[in-house]
This record gives sequence, structure tokens and C-alpha cells, in this order.
Amino acid sequence: MDQLSRRQLLAGAGAAAAAMALAACGQDDEGKTDDLSGNRDGAMASYGAGEQFRATTALSFPIMLLSSASYPYKADWLFWSELTKRTNVTLEPVVVPGSDYNQKRSVMISGGAAPLIIPKTYHPDEEAYIAGGAILPVSDYTELMPNFKQQISTWNLKNDLDAYRQADGKFYLLPGLHEDVWLDYSIAVRTDVLQQLGLQIPQTYDELATVLRAMKTAHPDIYPMTDRWNNPTPGGNLLGNLSAAYGTLAGWDYQNATWDPTAGKFVFTGSMAPFKAMLQYLNTLITDKLLDPETFTQQDDAARQKFASGKAFVMSCNAQTLVNELRKDIAKIPGATVVKIPRLTGPLGNVKQATSRLENGVLISRKAKDSKNFVAMLQFIDWLYYSDAGKLFAKWGIEGTTYTGNLDSGIKLAPDVNWGGLNPTGTKNLQVDYGFFNGVFAYGGSTKYLNSQFTTEERKFQEVMNARKTLPLPPAHPLNADEREQATLWETALKDHVTQQSLKFILGQRPFTDWDTYTNELKGKNMTQYIDLVNKAYERFKKSNG
Amino acid sequence: MDALTRQAPVGAGSAPEAPAAPRLVPRRRTWRRALRRDWQLYSLAVLPLMFFVVFRYLPMVGNVIAFRRFRPGGSIFGETWVGLRYVRLFVSDPTFWQVFGNTLKIGSLTVLFCFPLPVVLALLLNEIRTRWLQRFVQSVTYLPHFLSVVVVAAIVFQVLSLDGVVNQGLAVVGHAAVPFMQQPGWFRAIYVSSEVWQTVGWGTILYLAALTTIDEDLYEAARLDGAGRWRQAWHVTLPGIRPTMMTLLILNVGTFMAVGFEKVLLLYNPLTYPSADVISTYLYRVGVVSGSFSYAAAIGLFESVIGLTLVLVTNAISRRTVGTSLW
Amino acid sequence: MRRSRGERVFTACNAVFLTGVVVLTLYPFVNIVARSLSAEHAIRTGQVNLRPLGFNLTTYRVVLSDSVFWTDYGNTVLYTAVSTAVSMVLTVCYAYVLSRRDVKGRGVLVGVAVFTMFFTGGLIPNYVLVSALGLRNSVWAIALPNAINVFNLLVMKSFFESLPVELQEAAAVDGLGTYGMLVRIVLPLSKAMVATMVLFYAVAFWNSWFPAFLYLDRAELFPVTIYLRNLIAGATAGTDQNAASDTALQIAANIQAVTIVLTVLPIMLVYPFIQRYFVRGLMLGAVKG
Repeated sequence: MDQLSRRQLLAGAGAAAAAMALAACGQDDEGKTDDLSGNRDGAMASYGAGEQFRATTALSFPIMLLSSASYPYKADWLFWSELTKRTNVTLEPVVVPGSDYNQKRSVMISGGAAPLIIPKTYHPDEEAYIAGGAILPVSDYTELMPNFKQQISTWNLKNDLDAYRQADGKFYLLPGLHEDVWLDYSIAVRTDVLQQLGLQIPQTYDELATVLRAMKTAHPDIYPMTDRWNNPTPGGNLLGNLSAAYGTLAGWDYQNATWDPTAGKFVFTGSMAPFKAMLQYLNTLITDKLLDPETFTQQDDAARQKFASGKAFVMSCNAQTLVNELRKDIAKIPGATVVKIPRLTGPLGNVKQATSRLENGVLISRKAKDSKNFVAMLQFIDWLYYSDAGKLFAKWGIEGTTYTGNLDSGIKLAPDVNWGGLNPTGTKNLQVDYGFFNGVFAYGGSTKYLNSQFTTEERKFQEVMNARKTLPLPPAHPLNADEREQATLWETALKDHVTQQSLKFILGQRPFTDWDTYTNELKGKNMTQYIDLVNKAYERFKKSNG
Repeated sequence: MDALTRQAPVGAGSAPEAPAAPRLVPRRRTWRRALRRDWQLYSLAVLPLMFFVVFRYLPMVGNVIAFRRFRPGGSIFGETWVGLRYVRLFVSDPTFWQVFGNTLKIGSLTVLFCFPLPVVLALLLNEIRTRWLQRFVQSVTYLPHFLSVVVVAAIVFQVLSLDGVVNQGLAVVGHAAVPFMQQPGWFRAIYVSSEVWQTVGWGTILYLAALTTIDEDLYEAARLDGAGRWRQAWHVTLPGIRPTMMTLLILNVGTFMAVGFEKVLLLYNPLTYPSADVISTYLYRVGVVSGSFSYAAAIGLFESVIGLTLVLVTNAISRRTVGTSLW
Repeated sequence: MRRSRGERVFTACNAVFLTGVVVLTLYPFVNIVARSLSAEHAIRTGQVNLRPLGFNLTTYRVVLSDSVFWTDYGNTVLYTAVSTAVSMVLTVCYAYVLSRRDVKGRGVLVGVAVFTMFFTGGLIPNYVLVSALGLRNSVWAIALPNAINVFNLLVMKSFFESLPVELQEAAAVDGLGTYGMLVRIVLPLSKAMVATMVLFYAVAFWNSWFPAFLYLDRAELFPVTIYLRNLIAGATAGTDQNAASDTALQIAANIQAVTIVLTVLPIMLVYPFIQRYFVRGLMLGAVKG
């Protein structure tokens, strides 16, 4: 039986070996490219935002294509032929099964065999490839991508983009851009149980505790709340949501360094007062037997089973799992209803956490620069991924054939085309049969663009969330290659200790009177040195990049 | 001149004699003689040797990145010499030594249990008189080998959950439920048990094949000497499969540090890191942030040296005691 | 032959013990088969035990009616056949050479093999090598890089060594050269071991997905293991917020179970043919006469 060896997994792992700090240019120079006169074959002489891109000669580009199991790659998709018709560009896919995309990408890049266009890359995975010179600093070429530039400025994404910059001030990933922060994960609650007990949907974590207590009184031999998504981060979503409400970072959002706006510097997350307060809150839930002790270690299926058989009433969810998993799971329980509630707030009040509005994006191989068609390729990518027309095409297809309407008036799928239950009578599927709405090409976008795919329920959720004030992002603090190598080992040791002790504190295996001993243990693991390193990097970046 | 023709012909009646002339004792063998005499044998070895050289030894050069800084996308042989930098990096990392210890403990326990049990099971299966029953039992016991590691982990979780079978049993005898998956003390037992369960059936296949080669006459002779079932097993069966056993033992000892990465990754969590975290999972967590191939290569070489040393030692012991050797 | 009381007690204990082993190893498998035939809801609420609940063949139907599945299945058969053949030839030849104690340089030859068990090149050098040899996107990328498994090699060698040395002499007298000795004498006497090695290699190649994943870039060349692995991964991730079809949900619930059944079934069907070699007394009469 094939077992993944450590080396094989490492090859698929992500990043950091960021480039050395070069003398940074100011950012007003950004995007001004060097002489590209030899690379303009096939490019449009004047290409601006909002224009349809069309190569002047027929071109073809190799691209790494993630083949999702839900809609596996088909060579005869309408998407391909229509794309060629509109842009005069044919894409040659290197097909990679979605189950192990990261690993194959890593091997192909490291082995020098990667195609020119490499999409579906999440930050900071691209950092591993920078020092070896495998990918282009795309920030140098944004002058050739008018739609991208326009979206950055219209939606005010400069701070988000800064977080993607390396110590040399450049960014190497062309990210997906969102107009608004898009938060999807939250908590699902059995509303019929709330109704039976005469309770309202909780809005703060304290109210949640009250609700759970009432549930426990009515159902003494179960734990009202359980959770899933524990691998590889225990309590990934639970702690993530909670930490945002308390003003720290935990779960999926955990970083060793948290930005403290009042102090104007970074502090260590695991020893912060809000972090402790958060752990104390969870410990109360455990002690009062409101939260399942297996919450942080069980597998997803076990959590779902508890929810499905009525042994738990509150659990983490996102829009997809709510509709496709939780609602279906409780279908046989008479009268059971479940709803995804807006994220609970805590001591910080009615705010939304600082989340980047950027998401996964495209890498460009360094070899592309040698190609005669380099400029055309960038224009093509700009059109497909960042122009309104390109995005609409990638998501919904051809007006009249696969859909009618537009983003303002609403998109309606063609009569025999179905996607996600929007058109149940449709015999063909937008993704499977036509190749549109493919995660490799259609993502990010304006709020209207996103809303076109949301259910009414989800739109209401987003409305509530968007009404909250968004906290500012922490400032960038990139490390250089040497710092990164040492920092990695420190970070792992610190993060391991924090996660391990957090669980012990929560589960009551360690009393909170031990908190100072715990902080000293962290000092013994180089906590102070690490935070100093981060603050130094922050100061350095601030000085050179303004 | 063919040395083989010098030997006394073996035929009926000549077997018990000590061979008259030295048969295959080398007489100042030089390579030329050897090649001439055994060219057919060497010809059989040509293709396999080519395989080893091309597909095994050639890529080994890549290990040089343990001593050079490697950047993904740059030269696969690394950029600059850094000497023992990465070795020093992991030697001075206290977490590394902790996970190294865990790897040793889990690895040795696995060998300790997973090596003898297939032998025992093979012997027991051998005692089933009814042929079809023996075949049925044997076919069933190898099934767990085919379960993917994900499924096995799911089974382990299910069985050991707070309301799983084991805790239900504990409840019957009045014991409080134990959260097995959250306690570092239980991890080794859990891991080794699941390994035994998965491998014992498949492991018997090899021994059953080896058992077929034991001469029936030896059993007959033992029975005539009045040996019961135990004596037969001890004096006939076990010695008969000893070469296979010893070879497998040497190989298992040599590779004992290759603890199943995927399985540990699925079964562990931060609460059990103290005993569950092994070298491969630790590197995975470190690697997720840094992608440091050089660091991994340095550790890999370290493990390789240990493994090779163990094989040589075990082989020497085996040669001295029972005469089986890889060489 | 009357069995002593001790022997009867032993037989009884053996029977009990082996029954326990059978139950422990068979139960999860029966559970998996049941799950592969059960309805989604029963699976999600954990009710499925030994019998299928809400019997349906939906997932089987979807998988087995997908032409991609059959293309990939054919690929797997091809890869397994070719790879096993290559591996067996190389392994048998080399093991035989190693088993001859009179071969000069034997130690070196063994050392060459054993050393590779511990020192490997790493992922990237292997990838670059296979790429440079032009083997990517062909069956040879699967068959060649893992042709010889040193474990199998050494076990086979030790087995050849245990064959009586008189055979060699007898064969020489009969005028057989090395090749003849190997093919006419040694191999027929090693049927059980050869069958076992064929089984080991074939199963390993049958289940392997990593080399195919690494060296094949075209979807039509993928083996069925990649198809199934992707299906499992896809069933657990997903991005649309709107209702997936009931079929999709049913598949998500038991695709893993179906995968296991489809993977194990062929091997279970083939195995009895291997088993008949595990018969005692094959050596009878080999040396005498």
C-alpha cells in the first residue's frame, strides 16, 4: 500500500523562503515594466479596462488545471471553445486531480516542468517558490493589467495587497479580489429546539451560554453543543469565530503574533489576556457539561452523527454544509429545522474580524517572461480573471445559451441548465456539462457577482455581517530567507505548545492558576525572541515601504 | 575448465559420502575466471543492476541538498554549500529529539508485535485440518490489509469514542468513560494494535508459502520418534521457516523507523503530541510553513544511517546465532 | 491416529482463538459492504451495522456507468500486468544470482540492493530523472521506477538459498546451464514463493496511485485509484451553497465504502488461485529420483 512519505508531503507543503530584502523601490514605480518589445507578439496594441481582449494571432498557453471530482475535466466543454472564439487563445491543460493538487504543483515547479499559468494557489503557498526564482514577481507587470489595477483602486485593496508582499516589496501571486469581506463559516442552531424552549437566536457568546444551559436542563443526558473541523487544527472554526469576537487569533486564524493597535506593535497571541479570557469561556462550557468533551478531537463524521441523531443541537457550519449536510441529516427528526446564525459577538462588540479580501489566485512561471507572447498572456489573464465580462463569462457562460439576465437584474439559468438546485428541471449541469462556474476560473468578484449565486437565506446572512464594522488588517511584516528558516522552527514549537496547552486549559486538565507557569514555558521556547523578530520586520517594512 | 565437472557425480548411493574432491572451493579466483565460469549468472544480474544504478543511485545525488541550500525552482542540487548547517539545526532543536524518541518507541513496539504474530498465526492456521476451513480463515484475515489508512483511522475513532464499543464495555463494569484519543499514554497501544490488526493476516501469506517447502519426511520422522504436535512445530516447522523469518526480522529492524506517517497524522492531535508526534509528522508541520527540503534531507540522511547500521548489526547477530545472513 | 486429550484441548482453544480473529477482521469489512449498499440517512445517523439499511445501488450505479471509470480500470489492469511482469523478471533473476553462494562479488551485489533500502534520492530528483528519460505519460513511468522491491528480493533470495544444493549438482550433471537450471529446476520448485511474490507485486501496483499521480498529466491515462481517490476528496469538499442533488449526497455518504469494495473484490476473486500453491509437500520427490 502506498504510504505518503514525509518527503512527499513536504513537497506539497507551502512556503517561506522569501527573497532577500532588496533595496526597495517606492511603490509609485510599481508595474512599470522593463522593455518588453520582444514579448508583444499577439498582444493588443491598446488594451484597457472593460475592453474585450482578443489576441491578434491565434495563441495557446499551457495551464495547470485542477480537475475537481464534482465536475471532472472534459476536453469538449463549451467553456473551452467559447473562450477561444472570444479571445483567440487556446488553453492546453495539464490535468491534475483535485485531491492532491498542491503536491503535484510543488513537484512540477521544483522539477522545472510546470506550465506557464498556475492557478488555484493560496497565499502563502507561493512563498516557497520565490527564492528559487521559479515564479515571476507579478507586481512588476501590473501596468499591463488594467482591470486588475482598476479593481484594486476602486475597492481600496491596497492594505490587503500589502499583506501579500514580500520583504522586497513585491508580490508574487495574482490574488482573487473581493469587493467585500466574505465570511461564510458560523454556527448552526436547531431552531425548533429554541422554539420549544421559548428562546431567541443568541447574538452574543454569553447569550449562547444561556441558551445551552436551557437546552441542557431540558435534555440532561446529552451535550447540547459539539463541533467538527478538527483536523489539522482542533476546534478550527469554533476557536476561529470565538477569537475574532475576543480580539485575538485562534483556531484556523491562529498566528503566533497578534497586532495590538493601542501598543502599536505585535504581541504573542498565546499569552494575551483576551486569549486567556476566551479559554476561560470555553472551560465554563465544558465544566457545566454544555460542550461535548470530544469536540476538539473527534472526526467530522462523528460530529455529524451526533447532530443527525439529535444528540447535539449546536454545531459549526457554512452555507454549503448547512444545506447539503445538516438539513439533510436531520430530515427524519420530526419538525427539526436548522439555521446558520450570524456570527456571535463578544467583548469587542458588533464588529467583523479583519479578514483579507484577497483569496487564492494565479502564479506565473518565470519561463513565461521568455515567451514571445508574454504580454498577450498577461492581457488574457487580466481579461478572464479581472474584467467584468470575463468573470461573467467564466461563471455563468453565454447569455442566451446558458443563462439570461445580468448581474443587476438577476441571473436566470437557461431552462435545461441546472446548477446547485437553482433549476431542478434542468437536465444538464452548468459545471459538469458546460464547464462554467469552474473553481479554477470563477472566483472573487463584486458583491453583486457573489450574490448572483447565493440563496436568499445566505444573502440575508451576508447583509447582517456586512452591516458590521470591519476591523483593520494587521500591518505587513515579511521576513527574509534567513530569518524565515529559524523562525519556522520557533513558530512550530510555539504553536504546538499553545494549541496543546489551550486544549488542556479548556478541558480542565490544567487549572488557570497555572497561567504564569505556562507563560514561562513559552518564554523557554523563544517566545520573546520570536516577537522581537516580528516587530523588527514590521519596522523594517514600514520604513522602506511607507 | 569447468570446476563443476570435477565433482563426484551425485546419484543413488553416493550421497552419504563426504565429497571426494573439493567442489566449489575457489582456487585463487580472479575476476576473469569468475566471469568466464559464471557469465550466465552475471548476465542475469545485468538488467537489475541497471535498474538500481539508474533509478536508485542516480537520484541519490539529490541528497546533496542536505549540505547545500535548496530553493524550489532553482537547481535541484541546491545553490550554495552550507556544510553541516541543517544537521546542526536539527541537532539543537529540542522538539526534534522528542519526536525522535517517539519514533524509536513506536517503531520498536511495532516490530516487537508485528513481527512474531504472523508467525504464530501461520502456525495456528497450519494446524487446521480441514483444508477449506483453513483457506477461508486465511482469506478473511488478510482483508484489513486492504482498508485504506483513512478508513482504519475512522474505525479506530469509532471504536474508542466516548460512546463507542470499548467505553460501553467499561460502563458495563462500572468504570467511567475514558477519552482514549485524548490521552498520550494510550496512543502507542492504539497505534500498535491497529498495525497488528491490519498486518497480521497479510503477513501470514509469506510464511504459509515458506511452510510448503518443508519436507514431509521430516514430519514423518518426527512422528515416528514420538513427537507430539508441539515438538513437531518446534523441531520441524520453525526451523523450516527460519530463513524467511530471520530475513524478515533483519529487514523489519532496519526499517523500523519508518513509522506510518499518514496513520499518525490521522490519529493524533495536540493533546497526544508528547507520545504521538513522530519525525515525519513533525517535519510535516514544520514544512507547512517553510517548505524546507534541505532540512528534511538532512534528517532523512540521519535516519538512513541509523537504519543501515541497525541492519548490519542485526545481520551480524543473525549470522552468528542461526547462520542466516543477508550476505 | 487417536488424538491425545492435550491435542483436543489445543484444537478447541485454537478454534476459539481463530474464530475471534475471523470476527475481528471480518466484521469491519461486512460493515463496509453494508454501508456501500445503504441509504445516505442511515449512514449519517450511524445506524448501519451488519445489514444494509435502505438498500440501494445508487453509488455503484453512478460509478460503474461512468465511462471514465472503465477507462481508468483498463489502465489499472494494464499497468498492473506490465509492472508485475517486469518486477518479477528482474526480481527472480537477481534473487537467483544472489542466492548462489559461489558467485564472486556476491557481497557487493547484495550490498547494492540493501543500501537502496535506506538511502533514496528524494521526490524531486526522481521526478526530474523520470522526466529526463522521457517516461512521463507512459506505462513505463509506473513500471520502471519501482521495479524491484528489496524486501521481496531478499525474501526470495533466502528462499532460493534454502533449496538443497544437490539440485544444483544434479542439474549440472544433466548438462543444464544456469538459465536451464533456473527455469527448469528452481522455478518449478518455488511455485509457492513465486506465486506469493506475484501476489505482493500485483497488489502493490493495483493499489498504487502515487507514481501515476506524479508522472501522468493526461486524464485518460489515470488509473482507477486516482479516479476513486479524487471522488472521495470531492465528496468531502465542495463549494456551492445551493442544494446538491440527492444522488450527489448519497454518493458522498458511501463512496469510500464503495471504493474499498471495488478495489478488494478483484483481489479476493484472484486470491483462491494463488492459494492452491500453498500446499505442503511440493518438495516431495524433488531430490530423490
